[in-house]
Amino acid sequence: MTSRTKGSQGSRRWLRTRAFGLHVSTVALLAACVTINVYFPAAEAQEAAKQFVEKVIGDQGQPAQPSPEAPKPDTPKPESKNPGGMALEFHFDPLMLVGIGQASAQEPDFKLNSPAIQAIESRIDARFDSNLRDGFQAGALGFSNDGLVVVRDASKLGLKDRVATNAAVADDNRDRKALYREAAVANGHPEWEAQIRKVFAKQWIAAARPGWWYQDASGGWKQK
Amino acid sequence: MLTVIGMLPSMSRWMVTLLLLLACASHAASARTLEARIERITTTVATLDAVHVRLEWPANATEGRLSLTAGSIDAPDLGYHYRDLTWQCPLRREAGHWRCDGALRGGKAPPLQLAVELDAATTRASLRQGNAALTIDRRAATPDDTGIDLTRVPLLWAQALLSHAWEHGRFKSGTLDGRLRVRAPTAQPLQVTGTLVVAGAALETPDATIAGESLGGTFAIDYRKTPRRADVTIDGALRGGEFLAGNAYVALPATPIGLHVEASQDAGAGWQFPVIAWHDGSTLAAQGSAAFDARTDLQALDLHLHSGDVSPLAGRYLSGWLAVAGLTDLKLSGAIDADARIDKGRLQSARVALHGVDMADAKGRFRFDRLDGSVGFSSAAPTSSALHWSGGQLYDLDFGAASLPIDSGGGDLRLGAPVSVPALGGSLRFDSMILRPPTADAGADIRFGLTVEKLDIGRLAKAFGWPAFHGQLSGRIPNARYADERLQFDGGLTLQVFGGTVQASALAMERPFGVAPSLTADLALDDIDLQSLTGVFDFGSITGRLAGRIDALRLVDWTATAFDAELHTVRTRGVKQRISQRAVQNISSVGDASFASTLQSQLIGLFDDFGYSRIGISCRLENEVCTMGGLEAADTSGSEAGGFTIVEGAGIPRLTVVGFHRRVDWPTLVERLVAATSGDVKPVVE
Repeated sequence: MTSRTKGSQGSRRWLRTRAFGLHVSTVALLAACVTINVYFPAAEAQEAAKQFVEKVIGDQGQPAQPSPEAPKPDTPKPESKNPGGMALEFHFDPLMLVGIGQASAQEPDFKLNSPAIQAIESRIDARFDSNLRDGFQAGALGFSNDGLVVVRDASKLGLKDRVATNAAVADDNRDRKALYREAAVANGHPEWEAQIRKVFAKQWIAAARPGWWYQDASGGWKQK
Repeated sequence: MLTVIGMLPSMSRWMVTLLLLLACASHAASARTLEARIERITTTVATLDAVHVRLEWPANATEGRLSLTAGSIDAPDLGYHYRDLTWQCPLRREAGHWRCDGALRGGKAPPLQLAVELDAATTRASLRQGNAALTIDRRAATPDDTGIDLTRVPLLWAQALLSHAWEHGRFKSGTLDGRLRVRAPTAQPLQVTGTLVVAGAALETPDATIAGESLGGTFAIDYRKTPRRADVTIDGALRGGEFLAGNAYVALPATPIGLHVEASQDAGAGWQFPVIAWHDGSTLAAQGSAAFDARTDLQALDLHLHSGDVSPLAGRYLSGWLAVAGLTDLKLSGAIDADARIDKGRLQSARVALHGVDMADAKGRFRFDRLDGSVGFSSAAPTSSALHWSGGQLYDLDFGAASLPIDSGGGDLRLGAPVSVPALGGSLRFDSMILRPPTADAGADIRFGLTVEKLDIGRLAKAFGWPAFHGQLSGRIPNARYADERLQFDGGLTLQVFGGTVQASALAMERPFGVAPSLTADLALDDIDLQSLTGVFDFGSITGRLAGRIDALRLVDWTATAFDAELHTVRTRGVKQRISQRAVQNISSVGDASFASTLQSQLIGLFDDFGYSRIGISCRLENEVCTMGGLEAADTSGSEAGGFTIVEGAGIPRLTVVGFHRRVDWPTLVERLVAATSGDVKPVVE
């Protein structure tokens, strides 16, 4: 999203978390009526990443479902709105007839809801339970500091599992890279990719279970 | 423990002397105790330090008690080192020879049973633990030779031997059977020859990059060692098991694999393998040589491979690499020959010759039929090759036969001449192509120039399951570059469709063969015949000409996720501008049945079509929401505040279509439109 409406909830939340941004944005809004969002919406991105990560790590064996609390545009409403006056003038609203309502005006500033991202999420979620969770539990896998999964100690796995795990980790990292890239592009800022990676890396590590391994900022491995 | 027994025969010279002394003493009626402390004993195999021998022989007893301890035993040539060994046994004299059988203890390891029998002519020692036995025979007449018999001997006993040859190798399990002969003449190389049967062998490096499991086989071995040099020849057959080295995973078949390896190592240097031969039936025959440096990094390799039947190759030898590359279960058939030469740790040249090879991706992303010819790569001197295929498929698009002349030199691959690939009734002509293979520092980089000549959009549409479009796709992309999973095109393509044109520019793809492939483009539409367009979509009929743009179009997984579009009609001399009742009804009947019974729908139903002066619509899709707009500067006075005019009527009856909702849920919109155009929804009102 490149524009920011004055009353949007997401905007308010973001502004609360960044007091300095409040002043700058408000001044900009009042002075020039130009709303430019050049900041990375860190709080929203973190919230979205947190939901994503908790869904993957949190519930074992559950396929990914669109998050119920994620704001969605209005669902279509079957009843027509004020068609009365149109009859005589042959005015009508085709979109209303198609049954499509107005999308919500209150959009958060960071979304992870494109079909491609949801497809990636389903795969990451399913793969985590079928191939990767045991590897983390065994200490063979770890979360890297750039948001990927790394085979940090293959000796913790049997030879057969090692081959399957190598493949699953390669597949997962392809999905993860695509996720971070698509999240940036879908939100209109390809240049956010690195920041989104960092946010996700932090969330994967935050959601890691006790005993799981992760890489700290300097690249060293630590056990949670 | 192997060496403990290995050095015992070598010790026998002085032991025999010692025992003979004892023997004389044992005949005496009184109790005797004999004790010897020896600072160092040096044999050709091992050195013993701080040796203490003690024999107690009580008066008139039939046996004595022998106790032997060594502070350390070192066999540097074999890699064995022990501390604080103790052997205690009852010593007795039976039928002209001495025998002592007792527990050998060293450190915290469980004790082994060591039995020694000796007389003036022979020495026989056996080491047992459970059902494992290692027996050594030695004759005084051939003092340099020692025979070793192995019965279910744990490979772990040979760990020191392995560590000596390969610092990071660790045996985990497995047994050895067989017979070896050790020759240890003074001032000549130590030589070990014989045949070994390995069963259930498992090994691993501490970093787990190399590992093997359930490996078995029978091997003839010849090992020679001097302080300056080691030589090994192994000749035999591998039977079953699996092996992992980095990303390479080899699942050995049940059928035997012939293996012949000759290796040598100079002191302080890495191993050289002047001869390596591997014979796995018709699946893979490999011959070559290799050299490693002292840190076990590959320095040189010269390898020739032949596969008469490549179909088992993917599952047996390539699965590890293919899985990491996302090409699991690649289907292969045909035959190949391949050569590769690595020097100074770098690939110098490689050539793959294909003989009737069919290749198909398990996920259906690509397929090549009957690949023939070869691809040659050289990092230095120029080389030429040519590759041919008879057909194939890229996603859902079929392509025809083509021959690629390939030049290589200086580390890249180039097309020697433009190549035309027939596709979709037209052709794709690659005017040039340079491919730089991936290196340690950078991924693969491909640059090419492409001319698209008269592709049939009807066939394209059919392949993708689109409505029956008709038209042609042509264009020229002077420069395209693929690197870091991104494919970028300069230039553009022109689609001749619906009597007009669609110009595609700023084309780019991300992850074209990977996860969620994306395609971005700017499209400019001009002079599109709306009647043909609406006819194809079966959405009622609109006549007129359409122009506009779809900027920043982004397809992910071939589904639109973002664009900024504006389409409008252009009044053209001689072209009527009418919108049919059905076009209106079709929209109205989608999703709102209640509307069908209302007054205005019946009024619309009275007319076949309506004149219009302008139609215009815009949609900016982002994050699953389409922000809509209509005609610019249209008269919206009759509509609700905030409405936008999509159709501006003309004549009588005058129909004006006004949109109210500027922000529309995109998936719902698509769902409804698909239902309308696929004929799932029938007009309700006649």
